[in-house]
Amino acid sequence: MKSMLRILGRYVGSAAGIALILLILNAALFLLWVTGAKQENGNSYRVSVIADGLAKEGEEYTLADSARQAMSVRYEWAMLLSDSGEILWSLNLPRELSRTYTIPEVASFTKWYLQDYPVYVWRHQDGLLVVGCPKGSVWKTGMEMPQSIMDKTILWIPIVLAANGLAAVLLALLLGLRLFRSMHTLVKGIEQMAAKQPVQLGTNGVLGELAAALNQTSRELQRQEIALQKREQARTSWIAGISHDIRTPLSMVMGYASQLEDNQELPRPAREQAGIVRQQSQRIKTLVNDLNLASKLEYDMQPLHQEEVLLAPLLRQIAADFLNGGLARPYSLELDVGESARQAKVLGDQELLRRAVYNLIQNSIRHNPQGCAIRITLERVNSCWVMAVADNGKGFDQELLDRLKEENSLTGMPSHGLGLTLVRQIARVHEGTTEFENLPEGGCRVVINLPPSS
Amino acid sequence: MNTIFDCKLLLVDDEPDLRGMLVEILHKEGFQRVRTAASCQQAKELFQTEQPQVVILDVSLPDGDGFSLMSEFRSISAVPVLFLSARDEDENRLLGLGLGADDYITKPFLPRELLLRLKAVLTRTYFPPTLRQSKKPLFRLGEAVVDLNSALVTRPQGQVTLTAKEYILLAKLYENRGSIVTGDSLCRAVWGDDLYGYENTLMVHIRRLREKIEPEPSSPRYLLTVRGLGYKLTGVVEK
Repeated sequence: MKSMLRILGRYVGSAAGIALILLILNAALFLLWVTGAKQENGNSYRVSVIADGLAKEGEEYTLADSARQAMSVRYEWAMLLSDSGEILWSLNLPRELSRTYTIPEVASFTKWYLQDYPVYVWRHQDGLLVVGCPKGSVWKTGMEMPQSIMDKTILWIPIVLAANGLAAVLLALLLGLRLFRSMHTLVKGIEQMAAKQPVQLGTNGVLGELAAALNQTSRELQRQEIALQKREQARTSWIAGISHDIRTPLSMVMGYASQLEDNQELPRPAREQAGIVRQQSQRIKTLVNDLNLASKLEYDMQPLHQEEVLLAPLLRQIAADFLNGGLARPYSLELDVGESARQAKVLGDQELLRRAVYNLIQNSIRHNPQGCAIRITLERVNSCWVMAVADNGKGFDQELLDRLKEENSLTGMPSHGLGLTLVRQIARVHEGTTEFENLPEGGCRVVINLPPSS
Repeated sequence: MNTIFDCKLLLVDDEPDLRGMLVEILHKEGFQRVRTAASCQQAKELFQTEQPQVVILDVSLPDGDGFSLMSEFRSISAVPVLFLSARDEDENRLLGLGLGADDYITKPFLPRELLLRLKAVLTRTYFPPTLRQSKKPLFRLGEAVVDLNSALVTRPQGQVTLTAKEYILLAKLYENRGSIVTGDSLCRAVWGDDLYGYENTLMVHIRRLREKIEPEPSSPRYLLTVRGLGYKLTGVVEK
C-alpha cells in the first residue's frame, strides 16, 4: 500500500512539474514573440522621419533621401493632406483612393484602414501626412480595458497562473486516483495470490489485461497447489500403507525370533543369532514408526495433542528410563537442568517431545558402540527453552551434518539420519528450531530451541 | 477355572501365519484352550458356541472391522478384549480404548509383551489382586527389616514407625526397587501432583527416611541419590 501511495505522489508531482515547465516555456515563447513584434513595430515610428523629410521647396514638395529610405522599408504610398482635406503631395498613391477627404473620413481611417490599406498618420507643418502599407500587411486592433481591471493586472497574473497549476494538479490527482484504484485491485490480487488464495479480478478498465493475466496465473497456481497437495497426500498415504503392510510380517519375524531366542533346547550360538534377528527387527519397527511419523509431520497432518508440558520432569523421566533400562558402562548419562529452566513449560505434545529426546540419546548410543558420555542440558536462553543432548563420541559425518543443516524436507532425508530428521520436524511443529553440530573437543551436540508457552 | 491358563481364548486375525505363530506361543506359555477365527462371521459363530473368556482381535478383517465386532460381543457379554492392530494412529488407539477395549497392542509386537498384557488383563478380570493378595511386602535392607503392613522398621537398635509420607515414599521406591524413581514421580505419589517446589520438602522426608533405614544416614547404602534425577532403592532382600 505504501508503494502505491508513493506511486500516486510521484504521478501528481510529475503532473505539476509538467504544468510548470509548460508555463515557463510559454512565457519564454511569448517574450520571444513580443520582442520580435517590437522589432518590426519599431519601423512605424519612422513615420516621423518621413514627415521630417518632407519639405516644401517653392511650390514643390520633395522627400529627403533618408525619408525615402525609411519609406521603402515598410510603406507603399504616402500623401499629405491639407487642413481642408485636399492632397497637397502624394507618392505612389493608389488610383482607387479619392483625392479629397472630409473630416469624418480622416477620423475613421486614422485609427483603422483606408480602403483596406493599413495607414499611419503624422502631423506635418502643412497638414496631415498619411502613409499606407500594402493591403493585408498589418493587423490593427484597438484595445480597451476598464481602468480598474488594468490596475489589478499585477494581481491577476499570479492568480491565473496559480489556478492553472492547481487545475493541472487536481486533474493529475483525479486521473492518478483512477489508476490507483485499478492498480489497487491488482496489488490486492497479488497479495491474495501470495497467500495462496484464488484470485478472480474484474477485467474492465485500463489494467484489465493485466488483471486477466493475474487471474490466469492464479488459476495455474491453484491447479499446481492442488496437484502438489494430492501428491503429498499420495506420498503420505503411500508411506503409511507401507508401514502398515510391513507390520504383520515384522510381527512374525519378531515373534519367531524371540521364540527361538528363548528356546532352551537350541544351542547357545543359535539363540544368540535369534536374539540379533529380534533386536534388528525391533530396529526396523522403530524405523517404520519414525518414517511414518516423519512423513505425517512433514505434511502437517499430525494433530498435535497440545498440553502444557513441564520439560524438566520429562527429561528426568527419560533419563531415568534409560538408566533403568540398563544403560551402563561404557555409557554414562547426565542431566543438568539449569536454575532458570526448572519451571520450563511448553505447549506441546509430550509424546513427540519425549520421542525427540529419546531419539537423540538413542542416536548417541547407537553411533558410539565403544561408549560415550551423554549429557542432557536444559536452560533458558533469551526467553527460549534450550534442550541439548551432547556426547563425547565420534560426532556426525561431515556429509550427514551438511544435509542436516539444510532446512529441507523428506526429499533430502539422509538415509541413516531419519531419527534426527524426526527430531527436527518435532521441533518445527512446536515452532522451535534445531541445531546440529560437532564439538571441537570431539563428539556432537543437538540443540532444540523451544518457545515457552505464554 | 483355577488359573488364568484355564481361560478360553478367541483369537481373530485374517493372517493364517500370524494366527499359527500366536497359537504356538500361547500354547507354549500354557494357554491350552485357544480358538481362532479368520473373519467376523467365523468369530461370531465361535463366540456363540465357545463363549470365550478373552478375545484377541485384529482391527482390519476381511468382512468388517474389529471395533464393530467388539461392540457386538460387548452387547451380549462383558468379555475382555485386546486389540492387536497394524494401525498405530492415535485415533485408532483412542477409538479402540474408548469403545472399552482392555488393551490395544500395535503390530509388530514382541510375544513377551503380548503375553504380559494378556495375563494382566486376565488377572485383573478373573483374579483381582485385591482378593488374592492383601499382604503387603516385607523386606530386608541390610540389618533393617521393613514391614509395609505395619509401616514398621526393625533394626538392631530397636523399632521405628514410618510416617504416612515416609511410608508412601518407601512403598513407591520398593515397587521400583533397583530402578531410579524421579523426584517428580515421588512428589506425585506423596502430594498428588508434580508441582515443582516440593523438592526441598522431598529431600527432608528422604533424610528422615534414611535415618530410619540406613545404618549410616550420611553415607547411604540402600536409599541412593541419583544426582539430578531422583532416588533409587538398592540392596533389597525379599523375605
